[in-house]
Amino acid sequence: MTGAERLRVTLARGVLLFRWAMVAFMAVIAVTSEGFRRPVLAWLTLALAAAWTAVLTLRAPRWNTAWLASDTVVCAWLLLAAGIVVPEGSVIAGRPFFSQGYPVAAALMWGIARGPIPALVAGALLSIALVATRPLNGVPLGGLEARFVTSLASGVLNYLVAPAVVGLVARLLADSSRAVEEANRALITERERAARLAEREKLARQIHDSVLQALALIHKRGRDLATSGNVGAGDVLALADLAGAQERDLRGLISRPPEDPPAGRASLRSSLEETARDFDDLDVTVSSVGPIWLDRACVEELTAAVRQALDNVRRHSGAARASVFADEDDDRITITVRDDGRGFVYDEQRLSALGKAGLLKSMKGRVEDLGGRMTVTASPGRGTEIEFELDASRHRSQES
Amino acid sequence: MSDPIRVLVVDDHPVWRDGVKNDLRAAGIAEVVGEASDGGEAIQRALEDMPDVVLMDLQLPTVSGVEATRRIVEEAPHVKVLVLSASAEEADVLEAVKAGASGYLLKSSTSDEVANAVRRVHEGDAVFTPSLAGLVLDEFRRVARREEGEPELTQRENEVLKLVAKGYTYKDIADRLFITPKTVQNHVHNILAKLQLQKRYELMRYAIQKGLDRAP
Repeated sequence: MTGAERLRVTLARGVLLFRWAMVAFMAVIAVTSEGFRRPVLAWLTLALAAAWTAVLTLRAPRWNTAWLASDTVVCAWLLLAAGIVVPEGSVIAGRPFFSQGYPVAAALMWGIARGPIPALVAGALLSIALVATRPLNGVPLGGLEARFVTSLASGVLNYLVAPAVVGLVARLLADSSRAVEEANRALITERERAARLAEREKLARQIHDSVLQALALIHKRGRDLATSGNVGAGDVLALADLAGAQERDLRGLISRPPEDPPAGRASLRSSLEETARDFDDLDVTVSSVGPIWLDRACVEELTAAVRQALDNVRRHSGAARASVFADEDDDRITITVRDDGRGFVYDEQRLSALGKAGLLKSMKGRVEDLGGRMTVTASPGRGTEIEFELDASRHRSQES
Repeated sequence: MSDPIRVLVVDDHPVWRDGVKNDLRAAGIAEVVGEASDGGEAIQRALEDMPDVVLMDLQLPTVSGVEATRRIVEEAPHVKVLVLSASAEEADVLEAVKAGASGYLLKSSTSDEVANAVRRVHEGDAVFTPSLAGLVLDEFRRVARREEGEPELTQRENEVLKLVAKGYTYKDIADRLFITPKTVQNHVHNILAKLQLQKRYELMRYAIQKGLDRAP
């Protein structure tokens, strides 16, 4: 629902409240009156007013012409009936008017729904009905005393001015609310555009800084090497490594369209891939079943644990390669860090006694703090597999 | 010594094609019988020369590598396609495998790895990287959530795929699961076949949808 619609609905609710108050007044008048000229018609009219108000209450506000017109007819009838049911001459006798202020509701609704001009037209129609109550009550218009004319004129004025003002206010509020919404939309579009531009600039900067520099260096060193005539394998290898590192970075930038994270979450896959690229001297492949969105803090902790595991591989395993696999199945997250290095005998107590369990304990602590657990499978000569397991549902805070 | 494997190299960069040619010659197992610089040419050359293995890049002018793979595998099923791509464009890689590619390698792979992959693909193996295994697992899980009755992985196939994703070789996997490497191969083959079948389901579903839309 737009702001303008919400506004109309609020105003319409106000009018509805007003209708019920007026229906209550009519009932009080009906009970306390000293006798109707047409009692049956009076009670039927009261019943009609109550029923119509009930219908309007039960249905959501209707803005189409048929409903507004029906409303106007009902309200005009309430006015006319007020003239018919009470004893002759009593409309000007200073007694409470039978239908009270109820009829003005129809003109107010036109104002809210369509603006001041339709409200004025409806108000004018109701005014004619109001004027007609005098002859209907046996009070000829011709011989009306000046003070009764003034009273009638002020009634007519009420029917014209109040709806027109409400119509005007409703339109102004709706217009300003629309303007605010449009401005908001424009602002959001502009902000998104700026963010995209910033992202592109960031990419361009990164590419410029690393890739272009590396290319320039490879270009220059390659030429130098070629002209020096004395090329060692180490020199060529250094060039190849330089190109390889840039290739990895560039692939990291372009391999996947940017992901749109749910609020407060981060992709475990992206985070692990980023970490893997930081290891120059270890070939780390990352494989994941989907992006795996988790709370940012959880992703950071898991990534830190994986980083420690990879550090461990680099320092102790003698392996040239390691692989990280992140899986999510039925809300269970499993991360495996594996290498095919020399392996070791995993005995926590013995490692603790030797003072070698620090890193493992730290990883274990991180994962256990997240409510998960760590398993190490290792044997000499067969590599090492470290597995972190945890319940994902605990690390996905409810979206607002 | 057996006959060298006949290879068609498809890439829009001549320098890259030369590099691959030299590597394969140095490895002594394969002979480059043709080259193509775009997808259309690749289809034409493959169908004329009938190589054993096509080394296919995915980013190609005119016809894409995925489309060329589909056409070649459709019209010459005995020609194996090995995708060798610079960018790990996930969607493209998965599409290429669905289109019938027998394997996928990153261009950053070493010459030995490429030569080895060509040999294995020629022998009928499927060459999977761990990251591709992750993609394929994800794909099957998504399908399982989406539609009933579409090909799903068996428990064993799931296990095998997870081990591939963890970076285990087929031999390691065989040891761990107490099966032969040949059986591991069969599982991987069946996984690929199911993936390709899925593609057919997708097309079928699409066609049915279109047909129903047209019905009065």
